[in-house]
Amino acid sequence: MTFDEVIEQSKVELGEMVESGRLAIGIFYPHAPYELILAHGFIPTLLRTDSNIGGAYETSLQTFACSLIRNMYSQREMNQLPEVSGFIFPGNTCDSLQNLGDVWRVRFPEDNVFRLTYPVADTSEASIRFLAEELRLLSEKLSNELGQPFFDDEYSKAVDFMQSFREAAQTLYIVRLLVPDIITYSSLASLVRGFLSAPGDGALERVRTAAKQVVDESGFREDIERIRKGILTHQFQDIKLPPNLPRPRIAVLGGMTEPEAIAKIIEILPKTSDSVIVLDILSFGFKTVFTPPPDGSDPFSAMAQSILASPGEPTQEGLRNRVTYLKDLISNLNIHGLIVCEQSFCDPDEFETPSLEKAVSEMNLPIVRLPIDPELSDLSRLGVRIQSFLEQLESE
Amino acid sequence: MTEEREKTEKPYRKLETQAFLQQIAFRQGFEALEASENGRLTWVTSGFPVEIPIAMDVGVVYPEQAGAIIGAQKIGPEVCGYAEDLGYSQELCSYARASIGSTQRPDDVPMGSLPPPQALLACNNICGTVLRWYDAISEMTGAPVFLLDTPPVEGEQLPHHRAYVRNGLNELVGFLSSTFNTTLEDDKFRNVADLSSNAINLWTNSLEACKNKPSPLNCADRFLTMAPVVSSRGTEHCVEFYEMLFAEVEDRVKQNIGAVGDEKIRLLWDNIPPWFILRFFNQLAARGVSFPADTYTHAWSGAIEGVDVSSILDEMVGMYSNVYLNKGLNAKIDKMCQLIKDYDLDGFIMFSVRSCKRYSLGQMASKEIVTERTGVPGVIIEGDMVDSRLFNEAQIQTRVDALLEMFV
Repeated sequence: MTFDEVIEQSKVELGEMVESGRLAIGIFYPHAPYELILAHGFIPTLLRTDSNIGGAYETSLQTFACSLIRNMYSQREMNQLPEVSGFIFPGNTCDSLQNLGDVWRVRFPEDNVFRLTYPVADTSEASIRFLAEELRLLSEKLSNELGQPFFDDEYSKAVDFMQSFREAAQTLYIVRLLVPDIITYSSLASLVRGFLSAPGDGALERVRTAAKQVVDESGFREDIERIRKGILTHQFQDIKLPPNLPRPRIAVLGGMTEPEAIAKIIEILPKTSDSVIVLDILSFGFKTVFTPPPDGSDPFSAMAQSILASPGEPTQEGLRNRVTYLKDLISNLNIHGLIVCEQSFCDPDEFETPSLEKAVSEMNLPIVRLPIDPELSDLSRLGVRIQSFLEQLESE
Repeated sequence: MTEEREKTEKPYRKLETQAFLQQIAFRQGFEALEASENGRLTWVTSGFPVEIPIAMDVGVVYPEQAGAIIGAQKIGPEVCGYAEDLGYSQELCSYARASIGSTQRPDDVPMGSLPPPQALLACNNICGTVLRWYDAISEMTGAPVFLLDTPPVEGEQLPHHRAYVRNGLNELVGFLSSTFNTTLEDDKFRNVADLSSNAINLWTNSLEACKNKPSPLNCADRFLTMAPVVSSRGTEHCVEFYEMLFAEVEDRVKQNIGAVGDEKIRLLWDNIPPWFILRFFNQLAARGVSFPADTYTHAWSGAIEGVDVSSILDEMVGMYSNVYLNKGLNAKIDKMCQLIKDYDLDGFIMFSVRSCKRYSLGQMASKEIVTERTGVPGVIIEGDMVDSRLFNEAQIQTRVDALLEMFV
């Protein structure tokens, strides 16, 4: 299935789940407590930007609001968002999303708006306690305002369900590191995105089937667990990739950029397969997939710990750690070049990119920056930039 | 005599106290240099609980204030450009770009570059940008960053929120102790807290005196004289400055002298000012427009009453979490409506600052609500506080003219 077909299917499946009587909750930030929402019996749906909808409505959001929130806002104005019973906005991750929640409450008073505030300080125990309490309060609000309480047994099922997805998706990521053309990047992106948009049995089954298939085909069954462990524990030196892997191997970075966007840009390039992309380090992809599962007797603390342990987000404190993490990944995964996506008017992306650029340059690797917006309004120019970047890599 | 001449010749009366600002600036500059040379200088954000480093004998300087100075010198585009040369987007905060630019090329920015820091103290109660900005400076200077995370407050600050910020304050004391080999003692802290409270109290009194008609202070007066309360609160010279300021303000009130010669229209200003064109306010003064209140300079309020380190830190939790920019759109709307009512204002100008998403996103919605609640008209103008490339004077003039026509 193509990306568009998978996304369409996830829309249909979400619609069917809603029609069957389940309520959906829209989320804006990928590091969301999926298990919590599922434990209340809701379907969490990670809202996606729509490249067919331009960011307008300057009577509510100025042009310098980040392109992601303008796109989301426009979708809401045009009734293009999925049918949801509430929205969970992230607090404290960036000023644009923080303020969007406030504007949303004013402009759409009929919507149920919830806020989950994240700690950004790198003080592990205090941060976990803070987020755990935020999750507990969110749970109370979901229960009181939407009438569906938190059930422990549903939580246990949700933990298993999400972990099944993560493990299968991790497998896909890992196998692509070894055999990038075994499944296209576009397919991987669509499977992950499809699940995050409509996490139901159908979406999970598709990811698991794809994972099983690539493991069988790859012949690397025994390496997968070792690499998975290396990535999850950040012991990258334990990841020993086989020699003579096809060149070039590119990684894509960026905060809130949709994997779909990257896949679409590559798609327009003549004679270029997206197998050159061996890894994305995007919030909607790798970072979400390699989040460790909640583990512990108190569900709220366990979920807080899990969310805060996802690989480095530019919305959090710790640029230095993220740069080190990136360098380790690049050198141990034999990456030859990087594409860094910057969402226009996105503070976290745009502040971080010069540091990433510097770090990668110090490793003598080429890097290209892509200013990008959800509408892909500059698609052909972005394509040209990637094309010349690839040519540069091939000539080296 | 000077006052008399200005009273007759100029639409806008300059404050005598303003002359002392330069002395304070020189003093701060000298002290910062000395602290840096002694390995004890920190750069801090404007909403940081600065009483703590001051009480621990650690020097402080303010990159935001340096940004304002760069803006006022009209070299913002050039200095921001130095940061853009390093790869920082023009879409980012111009305070941050000016700071990064002047750190990269200090010799090219004699007035506005700061002495090298030994640590960076950021508090995100004013925006999320400071976290990333200070990370960038840390990378350039090697100075470690301490982030005091004060997550935005919705309604009442809840116990877990207070506990989290309190933990952050404890960690701050630990960080300063280990970095600068110092301690936080009850007496010294109490003394600094008293000085800080006194300065804030005098400043608040000066602001409230603007309820009088005519208003003794205009926008530009407050933007300039707020500098010490931002950068020197907790020191004796800061209190002395505000004693002088308040005395002058009281004198103006007694004599019925306004900052604007012929005050006809009283407006509220929302947001940071365009530092490179403060004459904007003086030009409006010539048309009888005064700004007795603004949301920016009212950010510092409250007194610290605790008796020892622990109780003062407890108070600081609420004081520094509940600042204007950390409280969401409803609180901003309430504040604007309250100022319009208390200062008997005729309308408002909202400056939509492209650099500052925390302050500006939401203004379109709040403008409508403020007008609905207060019955006074307002206008939104767009630009920037430091980067004059993002300021279209003619377009702004047209919008302001449209607002003023409503009062004819």
